Amino acid sequence: MIAGKATRARHGKRVLVPPRGDRGVTASSPAAGAPHPANREALSQALLDHGDRLYSLALRITRDQDMAADAVQEAFATALQRASGFRGESSLGTWLHRIVYTKSIDLLRARGREAPLDDEDATGAGMEERIGGAPTWARPPDEILLGAETREALEKALAQITPMQRLVFELREVEGRDTDEVAAILDLPPGTIRVHLHRGRMRLRGLLAPHFRGAVA
Amino acid sequence: MTCEELYRRLTDHAEGVLDGEVCREVDRHLAECHACNQIRQDLEDLSRLCREQAAIRLPDGVRRRIEGLLESTA
Repeated sequence: MIAGKATRARHGKRVLVPPRGDRGVTASSPAAGAPHPANREALSQALLDHGDRLYSLALRITRDQDMAADAVQEAFATALQRASGFRGESSLGTWLHRIVYTKSIDLLRARGREAPLDDEDATGAGMEERIGGAPTWARPPDEILLGAETREALEKALAQITPMQRLVFELREVEGRDTDEVAAILDLPPGTIRVHLHRGRMRLRGLLAPHFRGAVA
Repeated sequence: MTCEELYRRLTDHAEGVLDGEVCREVDRHLAECHACNQIRQDLEDLSRLCREQAAIRLPDGVRRRIEGLLESTA
């Protein structure tokens, strides 16, 4: 696991925080001179293998296509600078994801768009952990479950959960990354990832219940 | 196991991280409790809905810029 913190208290709110610049990545210092050709080749291959997912991660953090593009491009520039310092303690893909995560948060901050994480405390029981309140969904047929209106309802619901719940939920459920990978990217324990995932899922279930009941009734 | 206790464990159960005996308790509860089984089904539907979301692709222009960056250092 790579060192760094994902959250910290700031001005009374919890905010997304990178692991202190790029110090959270495995590279120790900028490479002197041109990177070894093998490192360039490895990064070119990583662009092929991970480019879409790196951009997807940046977009899910920044919610802005230009910022996401900048984050990925800057991440590769940083990786190239530090390629000789990459010690292989994590996979190159994980290392790049950590850099993209950091760059995305840096860009959000630079543009005054820090994402508040108001209920990021994963230790206490939240409302969504208490049963009751949200009615169960009427079993939707596939044309409703997978239709455009439902996708729109999901987008609206996602906007109502916390940024960390949303990020974890999207990385886990939408992108299908496994819990350990999400934990490595966000530098949080897997158990904490599962708490955010659980709360996000339960809140989304409650938020979407009226949509399905209305759609099927 | 009460419904409340099960509710808190549904994600851990789906993730396969519960201890054996707790996992079996969850299975038994789900087999007997229609309401909790409905909630589990809701969450499965939510997962299905998410899996159908379109994948995000790195725009070609950005990919080309990064390729140029990597080539320029050769």
